[in-house]
Amino acid sequence: MEDPGILESLGDESIEEILHSWNDFCASTESLLRGTGSDSAIESEFASSVKSLCRHGLCSLVSDHFFQVLEEDFKRNSVFKFWKNFDAYRDFSATGLDELQDWPEKILCKSLEEICTEKLFQEKCLSNLVHALRSREESKGNQKSESEGEILLSRYQLMVSSVLLATLPWHFPEIPRLYFKGKLEELSMTMASEYGDGWDVQFNVKNDLNGNKLSSSFEMDIDGNYQGTNILKNNKLVQNIGDVVRDLRSLGFTSMTEDAYASAIFLLLKNKVCELASDDYRSPVLESIKQWIQAVPLHLLHALIAYLGDSVEYNSVPMSIKSPLASHPSCYTGIDVHSEGLVRWKLRLEYFAYETLQDLRIGKLFDIIVDYPESSPAIEDLKQCLEYTGQHSKLVDSFISALRYRLLTAGASTNDILHQYVSTIKALRTIDPTGVFLEAVGEPIRDYLRGRKDTIKCIVTMLTDGNGGNPSGTGNTADSLLEELNKDAENQDNTDCEDDFISDDKQAWINAECWEPDPVEADPSKGSRNRRKVDILGMMVSIIGSKDQLVNEYRVMLAEKLLNKSDYDIDSEIRTLELLKIHFGESSMQRCEIMLNDLIGSKRTNTNIKASTMRPSQRDVMKEDAVFSLDSVDATIISSNFWPPIQAESLNIPEPVEQLLSDYAKRFHEIKTPRKLLWKKNLGTVKLELQFEDRSLQFTVSPVHAAIIMQFQEQTSWTSKNLAAAIGIPVDTLHRRISFWISKGILVETPGAVANDNNFTLIEELGDANRNGMTSGSCEELLMADEEGEKTVASVEEQLRKEMTVYEKFIVGMLTNFGSMALDRIHNTLKMFCVAELSYDKSLQQLQSFLFELASEEKLEIKDGLYYLKK
Amino acid sequence: MKVKILRILLDRWHAVAAWTWDAQDETCGICRMAFDGCCPDCKFPGDDCPLIWGACNHAFHLHCILKWVNSQTPQPHCPMCRREWQFKA
Repeated sequence: MEDPGILESLGDESIEEILHSWNDFCASTESLLRGTGSDSAIESEFASSVKSLCRHGLCSLVSDHFFQVLEEDFKRNSVFKFWKNFDAYRDFSATGLDELQDWPEKILCKSLEEICTEKLFQEKCLSNLVHALRSREESKGNQKSESEGEILLSRYQLMVSSVLLATLPWHFPEIPRLYFKGKLEELSMTMASEYGDGWDVQFNVKNDLNGNKLSSSFEMDIDGNYQGTNILKNNKLVQNIGDVVRDLRSLGFTSMTEDAYASAIFLLLKNKVCELASDDYRSPVLESIKQWIQAVPLHLLHALIAYLGDSVEYNSVPMSIKSPLASHPSCYTGIDVHSEGLVRWKLRLEYFAYETLQDLRIGKLFDIIVDYPESSPAIEDLKQCLEYTGQHSKLVDSFISALRYRLLTAGASTNDILHQYVSTIKALRTIDPTGVFLEAVGEPIRDYLRGRKDTIKCIVTMLTDGNGGNPSGTGNTADSLLEELNKDAENQDNTDCEDDFISDDKQAWINAECWEPDPVEADPSKGSRNRRKVDILGMMVSIIGSKDQLVNEYRVMLAEKLLNKSDYDIDSEIRTLELLKIHFGESSMQRCEIMLNDLIGSKRTNTNIKASTMRPSQRDVMKEDAVFSLDSVDATIISSNFWPPIQAESLNIPEPVEQLLSDYAKRFHEIKTPRKLLWKKNLGTVKLELQFEDRSLQFTVSPVHAAIIMQFQEQTSWTSKNLAAAIGIPVDTLHRRISFWISKGILVETPGAVANDNNFTLIEELGDANRNGMTSGSCEELLMADEEGEKTVASVEEQLRKEMTVYEKFIVGMLTNFGSMALDRIHNTLKMFCVAELSYDKSLQQLQSFLFELASEEKLEIKDGLYYLKK
Repeated sequence: MKVKILRILLDRWHAVAAWTWDAQDETCGICRMAFDGCCPDCKFPGDDCPLIWGACNHAFHLHCILKWVNSQTPQPHCPMCRREWQFKA
């Protein structure tokens, strides 16, 4: 009614006609929708009334009224009934879902069918209106009628969905979800049983060759060339799903439907990922997940899309969308067209699978790294996942908290922490070669390790002990570090030229072209240069702070090891030293090299001395029929200036041996004039055999132990005072050392007449239990005994303590003058003033630990980080 | 059961000793390094960097005194006592 003027121009006759037609129209509409009376009669009546009304320009009124009637009818009849069907679900969902296993399937299909028939019928009625309108338009020679009809149809569609959505009960969206879930599970079951045998075979193919063959075979399945026995069943299943989807869509639930089957598929996928990616980290799962995606959900979606007729919208350039699988271009060979929707789905599913797997793996990363390198397939999977999802920061956060909770606790041994640290470095190096995330993860571990006293010792053990073949315990760890040392040596040449100034322009250009920006998470305060090379040894050294400390510790350990050698076999030590030299530089290992050289020299000298004594005048030392000659004496001759300070203890060794040693020294003096030997009698090893009436026992012990037991040859019982005097060692040392023989069951301790003066007696009665214990006397017992006793070489801490005492006077003087001082200030002042022969070269940490010691001796006081003199 | 140690058989005694040049002084008068160490040009002490005594009984690292002697023309003197340098026979 655009123009009110028209109204006025209407005559009574026309009004009469309009009213008549309107009544006709209303009645025929009513009966049309009721479906009563003969169709053709009503239709023609309807058409004529519409026509006459339109003639008077009341077209829009006609359609508005028609829609209103349609809507009321739809609301009253279909919608109410439709929702009523699902009321039962609401009751069920309150009690539990177990009973409605296949309930949604039946009820949903049925009610959907019903409402769709209703809708179809209404559409048919609508088409009557469209026809009527069109025929009028055509008579006027108007061509836009086509679109008029479509507009009406879409208006109807809108009406239907708005009515449904407006009355949507809250529990309905759950129903299609349940339905799809059930259907998908059914489908994946049939698929799995179908692939059953073929699955394994194809996996083997994959392992032998690469994934291409397999993937393409799955592609073909999707293409419909699939020739399974269950094809009909599957098709039926797909058809069923397709019907439901189509019905739901036509009711305007497009997005809800999509949501429902997507969530069902994702749920299924998630379960599948969880099932495949169990706690076994030794096999890669990503490939099989991808295959499963191809085989089940994509297969279904393909069939679904084809069934619904969506796949006609072919993408002319399917390859333009990069799939995560695009790295295997052959996946697509043999497929001419790939619907865009399917590719999208594939991308979505794969991303979801990556993310799920990634989250699973990240959650278990700590365990995975514990198992490294056996778990490297899992690491490889995680790497691929992270490449697509880019959620590295998730990894860092979760791993750090796992570390804090599980590793960086007082209960974990330093060795274990270091082992885990090395594995972490290796694993994360695989995941992220730039080392950015490693830096973030490594920091808490490093910080923690710095607080532990035995860190250096453990690192050095790990560095050196691998090849010596200590079969128990830490061998694995050590091997890995030593191997790293080896690798480092191999790469040395390359890194050298990398580090050098690049003179060649061409090379510079190539390098510039290879440049890649650091990941966004990178800490900009740290240069990217040191990040390039993820170097395990470097990271280990960075825990300690300086390589000098590490070298020092190594020197002490090496000295200990060399002094306890009874042969001159140092091949493995030489090898380790060569590797360390490559890494830490020749000059810092100089002293260690001299130590090894001493061993080599000793071997030569030893042979020379033996050769020169092979004369008939040779004086055999006879003692109770025991023949002990210079032949049985070996010596390690050291350049003491280059060895760590050695703790010299006085010791009276048995007379015959004393004789031999002075002979030996004399010979040495003859050969190497004017050099002389100074014996360190408490050092070395002695192999001896105790001969009993019925058997003999062999021991490898230290000279002190030997001296003790030899005393019992002459006298079977000693008081501890007398024995100590005879051997020339303090009584308490004697007590510590003699416990070795007591534990072996050779000697027995009985309380003496005087306190602290116990009797030691050679055992005479021997129980069977003791005998068993006795037969296994060996050198590992010696090691144990040595650990209990004191080390022959002063430890690094003791050396440091000795070196630092020089500065004590300076520090006390400083504090007297200034009252209180902070750590850095003391450090800097010492650096400034101690430059002459007492040049101060200690680190801040070393100073701190020294000051702590002074404080514990009550010489200093610490308050708020300031040091005071104790008053 | 009666057990009695009949005897103790020493199989092998591996001793440890430190060598020393047994010079009267601690350090070389030329390089101020320890005699039992080595001169600044050497890496290994001992055979590789021997000591030498002059007729005046002053000892130096061989390499140190040779350098000194070669630099002194026409007649080298002992750096310590300024007497004419002669290697001790």
